[in-house]
Amino acid sequence: MAETPAPLAAVQVEALVVMKIIKHCSQTFPTTATGAIVGMDVDGTLEITNTFPFPVVEVPAESHFENAAPNPAAAAPRAKANAAYSAEMIRMLREVNTDANSVGWYTSANMGNFVNMNVIENQFYYQSQLNERTVALVHDVSRSAQGSLSLRAFRLSSKFMTAFKENKFTSEDLQKSNLRHPDIFEELPVKLHNSHLITSFIHQLQTPTSSASTELPSSLAALESSPFTKTSTLTPNLDNLSLNIDPFLEKNCDLLLDSIETHNTEVNNYQYYQRVLGREQQKINAWKAKRAQENATRATLNQPLLPEDEWQRLFKLPAEPSRLESMLNTRQVDQYARQVDSFVSSSTGKMFAVKGNLLPNETSN
Amino acid sequence: MAEDSFLHLARPLGPVSVGTAPTTAPLNVVIQPQAIFSVLDHSLRRNADQERVIGTLLGTRSEDGSEVEVRSAFAVGHSEAEDQVEVDMEYHKQMLALHLKANPREVLVGWYATASELNTFSALIQNFYSGQGDGTWPHPAVHLTVSTEAGKDLETRAYISAPVGVTAERAADSAAFIPVPYELRYGEADKSGLESIANAKDAEDRSTSVTSDIESLERAIEEVLSMVDRVSRYVESVIDEETPASTAMGQFLLNALALAPKVEPADIERDFNNHIQDVLVVSYLANTVRTQMELSTRLATAQLTLGGGGEGPATEGQRNQRGKGQGRPRQDRAEEARA
Repeated sequence: MAETPAPLAAVQVEALVVMKIIKHCSQTFPTTATGAIVGMDVDGTLEITNTFPFPVVEVPAESHFENAAPNPAAAAPRAKANAAYSAEMIRMLREVNTDANSVGWYTSANMGNFVNMNVIENQFYYQSQLNERTVALVHDVSRSAQGSLSLRAFRLSSKFMTAFKENKFTSEDLQKSNLRHPDIFEELPVKLHNSHLITSFIHQLQTPTSSASTELPSSLAALESSPFTKTSTLTPNLDNLSLNIDPFLEKNCDLLLDSIETHNTEVNNYQYYQRVLGREQQKINAWKAKRAQENATRATLNQPLLPEDEWQRLFKLPAEPSRLESMLNTRQVDQYARQVDSFVSSSTGKMFAVKGNLLPNETSN
Repeated sequence: MAEDSFLHLARPLGPVSVGTAPTTAPLNVVIQPQAIFSVLDHSLRRNADQERVIGTLLGTRSEDGSEVEVRSAFAVGHSEAEDQVEVDMEYHKQMLALHLKANPREVLVGWYATASELNTFSALIQNFYSGQGDGTWPHPAVHLTVSTEAGKDLETRAYISAPVGVTAERAADSAAFIPVPYELRYGEADKSGLESIANAKDAEDRSTSVTSDIESLERAIEEVLSMVDRVSRYVESVIDEETPASTAMGQFLLNALALAPKVEPADIERDFNNHIQDVLVVSYLANTVRTQMELSTRLATAQLTLGGGGEGPATEGQRNQRGKGQGRPRQDRAEEARA
């Protein structure tokens, strides 16, 4: 690697990794699945060449108290047991000539709901403890079910890393650092890459359907049982022509509602903080005034003055709640809204097409 | 793909089994693409002097043992010399243990090699994998060969084995390999992934980027248009008596055409308008929520820069925000209910 490596600009994912991630994520869906990815960093492009899932550790009951995630898999990438597991696995993989550098981890998501503390903490762990040049791959199972693969790569921005390290998320800090929700993640473009063998394999898979001359079937039954109607070869994927996007929109609305609720809680917390702060301030002011008055009387009586800064010991100002949660929430809502936009753009197109087809006369008017 | 034809009626009996009722029902092998991809990847990463590489296949077995589904694979180091073969069994065991930790539902089903040749060493390894103890016994071990010879098609074959031996000493390194049928199967979830991968098949650099929704929609529509074109070309050529007509084909096409729904134009109009309004309203609301949230965060973090008023405007902004925030869910829910 060069002295000053170029910043990561893109992520290149091998077909094998794509398939393995899809397999793991869809197997455990709708629970979150996580795993490690290994690969190599070549001139700013992170080549991801292999992956393995993390074992799901049964979390002992007492960990409920330490604010653990309800789903152990979501926290798996930074769990201690898994560090040993992945070190072991990588050592094994090295023996069979696989790239043996840990370059990050992957997680599954459901309709883009991946902006949460778990992901942040995992990625923070990777970027701060292991290697700065690591990424989080997010595979969205439900969006992929609509026809187009959804695989995205994220990193935490350096700005956010510093803030998170020092836990600076009060309003004042945020003003200073000018950190806002779009700055949490850096998204890297994802490219899929096939090896020569896989290219050749895929070409072979597709040949039966594109071969030109075949004998015509003798009967309908023969046609239906012929190899052409079987789905074992790579049939074109027409899932994304489906008009039925209501479930997706509904799910999105649910998620949005959840976010709004989180937002309300956060706002309430903050208001509570401000009320308490105001009350305390009032008390302090009253105390100060009283002390000043007392001192004034003492001064006239020629008694030694009482110290004026004792209030700092007597009153404790409440700590400002962290703004991190609401920032993440905003980022999440942003994500949902973009997702909805993308649904809507494709579905309106489809609907106009259907309408045009079913009512040819209407459109010509 | 291997085009050999063979008749697969019954599987051979395994090694002497006392007390277990041996089954001879035919065996069917299902291979998932990621297993094949693993094999191919391993083949690429072999040492320069190695002719072939081997590895372990994992997957699931149906209850009656008549179907084996190969789900994943991992590489195992081995070396072959003129007269001896060494397989890193320790490695295999450790890797298997690691793998099972993450995939408790998968079991050892067999092994693969990246050459279609079957030799004495194959038999030796096969006997290890199908043996008692560490092997798959009493189930047969599946042997998958994927030839990766440059310049030739990839050939995949699946075998199981029967014990055969001229003498007792030779029994360990002989086995009769019996071909079994296999099919490549992938689930709904794999489809979008495979499609994206297949997009890169004609590209010079063998890579492609992940497409957005609208791009893949465009591609799907183009695909359908080209299929419709192909069919109408065929139909035209039949009408022009250039290609022989086929009743079956005609029936099939008629059946397909009959799938077009018959709906009243008024109904369509109404449904269309309802639907599109719902969709657009959801989009509008989502974006409003986004803007509101953004505004709220900005107000909250920008309060001190507002000057003399200090915290006043910010809290007010939040209160407004909250009021609206609470108003919206109800509206949203109503919207959903209508949809």
